[in-house]
Amino acid sequence: GLLLVALLVSHMLLTKEGVTSLPICPNGSVNCQLSLEELFDRAVKLSHYIHFLSSEMFNEFDERYAQGRGFIAKAVNSCHTASLTTPEDKEQAQQIHHEDLLNLILGVLRSWNDPLVHLASEVQRMKEAPETILWKAVEIEEQNKRLLEGMEKIVGRVQSGVVENDIYTPWDGLPSLQLADEDSRLFAFYNLLHCLRRDSHKIDNYLKVLKCRLIHDNNC
Amino acid sequence: MDLQHLLFVLALICANDSLSASDDLLQWPQISKCRSPEMETFSCFWTAGNFYNLTVPRILQLLYKKSNEEDWKECPDYITSGQNSCYFNASYTSVWTPYCVQLASKNEVYDKKCFSVDEIVLPDPPVHLNWTLLNTSQTGIHGDIQLKPRLSTVVPLYSLKMARDYEIRIRSRQRTSEKFGEFSEILYVSFSQIGIVCDHCTEEVEFPWFLVVVFGVCGLAVTVISIMLSKQPRIKMLIFPPVPVPKIKGIDPDLLKKGKLDEVNSILACHDNYKTQLYSDDLWVEFIELDIEDPDEKNRASDTDRLLSEDHLKSHGCLGAKDDDSGRASCCEPDIPETDFSASDTCDATSDSDQFKKATEKEEDLLCLDRQDNDEPLPNLANTDPQRQHRNTQSENSHLWAPFGDSVESPRPSVHTQISNQNSLTSTDFYAQVSDITPAGRVVLSPGQKSKLGRAQREGCTEQNFTMDNTYFCEADVKKCIAVTSHEENEPRVPEQGYNEDGYFTTESLTTTVANLGASTAAPPSSELPVADYTSIHIVQSPQGLVLNATALPVPDKEFNVSCGYVSTDQLNKIMP
Repeated sequence: GLLLVALLVSHMLLTKEGVTSLPICPNGSVNCQLSLEELFDRAVKLSHYIHFLSSEMFNEFDERYAQGRGFIAKAVNSCHTASLTTPEDKEQAQQIHHEDLLNLILGVLRSWNDPLVHLASEVQRMKEAPETILWKAVEIEEQNKRLLEGMEKIVGRVQSGVVENDIYTPWDGLPSLQLADEDSRLFAFYNLLHCLRRDSHKIDNYLKVLKCRLIHDNNC
Repeated sequence: MDLQHLLFVLALICANDSLSASDDLLQWPQISKCRSPEMETFSCFWTAGNFYNLTVPRILQLLYKKSNEEDWKECPDYITSGQNSCYFNASYTSVWTPYCVQLASKNEVYDKKCFSVDEIVLPDPPVHLNWTLLNTSQTGIHGDIQLKPRLSTVVPLYSLKMARDYEIRIRSRQRTSEKFGEFSEILYVSFSQIGIVCDHCTEEVEFPWFLVVVFGVCGLAVTVISIMLSKQPRIKMLIFPPVPVPKIKGIDPDLLKKGKLDEVNSILACHDNYKTQLYSDDLWVEFIELDIEDPDEKNRASDTDRLLSEDHLKSHGCLGAKDDDSGRASCCEPDIPETDFSASDTCDATSDSDQFKKATEKEEDLLCLDRQDNDEPLPNLANTDPQRQHRNTQSENSHLWAPFGDSVESPRPSVHTQISNQNSLTSTDFYAQVSDITPAGRVVLSPGQKSKLGRAQREGCTEQNFTMDNTYFCEADVKKCIAVTSHEENEPRVPEQGYNEDGYFTTESLTTTVANLGASTAAPPSSELPVADYTSIHIVQSPQGLVLNATALPVPDKEFNVSCGYVSTDQLNKIMP
């Protein structure tokens, strides 16, 4: 009875937004390989989940700390990934070569690795940070790593030959997250969370377009 | 119901229109909203306001600018989205790029908004709704259907009642957004249309909430009443515990109701703070009254005799207070004579007084007379003395306690036995007699009445050496002198000279008395043993009392005059260990 309850609970927890248990390779098989479709399914689910979490986190932060501070007016959004030229609409996403798009996705994901680690640690120092924001920051960082691994696998499958991937933007926003002035520090957080929400949305859309294009031949 | 609702809405709309028409407030032109239905195009809408006159054509422009551009550009399409709108088609739309739009005329900027397209997504309502039946329940009462709008995902609806018809409409939103789009058109679902008829489906009866509430309240009321009226105390105590009544330890509330004042006083006297009130000096003044003397009382035996003999111990109807133990059990031990003077509790005094009352030779008639006259139960000790005094002033020859102190409490039983033993031969009155009471309330003492034999055989006073070093003369000495000289008379000769307003012998009066008496014949001294006419001071308590001891004081020094009952402070200090 207890085992059943445990299984049920774990199933319920896993069937939250975008994270369902997908079939895995049985143990012991040597040539087990997930199909590209399965890889894309997982990737899309992960990217969708990451965007959902970052969107919620931004809304909570906005509600809790940013009210009445006029951040929106100031947020011209100088994200650190702005230097990467990414497709700006559906048409452009459909026109770009899938390998280039995959590399872009990888580049963006890699660029966010470092900021997410620091975000998770710095958020804990915020004054009376709600438990939900703390938890989400940690979760996003973890899921982003998993998505990066998945994307590298996909790229390895899709691309033939070795691809030089130097798409990467370093992040130098750590000092701004540690400013003594509370207003400046909170604006730095606001900006970072806004950029995270935007970039996770981009990646989610790119992957869905890619999936539709590569798996379903544009018949979505 | 629907008609009423419709009429109400119409009325509201009419009122709103009339209000807005008559509204003369200036309204600036402002951008109401910008919206993207599918994240490929977007539109912005604005309100013109009533700023301008209607004759002058309004020249409003919507300018936009991307974040990475410098110049403001004008809206590419004012028409497609309707009046007061600007439509941006796919070529002008960059999804994740921040835009700013502003509403302006030639010289003025009225409103400005900044956004990015992915933030303003509001899907269009689904169109072309269609439904299909998925499955039905085994009883045939419920069924599941599935809605399929065009260009949208499938929407299932579960557990619809087959016997009913439904109106359904749908709206959608972006998953990461909270805002919904507009509702779609109404879809009518009727199961009878597709030929499914439920024969055994009946109108369901709603749960009778009203009846449940009414019966529940009635039942509860009946239960409460039955518990309250129940004879079983345990249930009653459990649910309605009794409220504690205020209670003072040791006091019976019934006692207070009956109004037995002396018993209540005795009980309350257990508490120390009440004690002081009992022995205020004013009591003496209150109870000393002039009264008509009763000649019959002259013929009575000396009070002292009555006090001394112990034959009338048995209970008489009037004697003694009935010790019914009301309320005193908590603090007093009744009927135990206390000779321990350290116990200053007046309860002891009270019990002792009762004991004493029983043992005394107080005339029954006198006591009863007290009772009848006073019409109250036996007073306690503090009242006893003045009361007796009150009674005894009726007779000039009556004998009274000399007011040595306010309380002559506990030693009396033992005292008077000793005294009685000593005086069995002499049967002498050894207390001063109150001959008169001045109007001021003071007591005038006079030598005691010699009603017994042997008094004349007392020591002559000529051989007495009056110790002049004491302030006071012993009354015993004086009395002896007087008794010798005036042995045949009942009335003393001294009193005329001995009168003083303060009622006590002063040295002057005594000296005169002594001088007068000194000339009298000197009778041979009595061979009798010297009698301790007055009790000596055993312990000097507080100003409220002197404890008297009948035994003669030991004579450690020759300087000490043993015949004098009074002891000065210095002598007392020598005597006491």
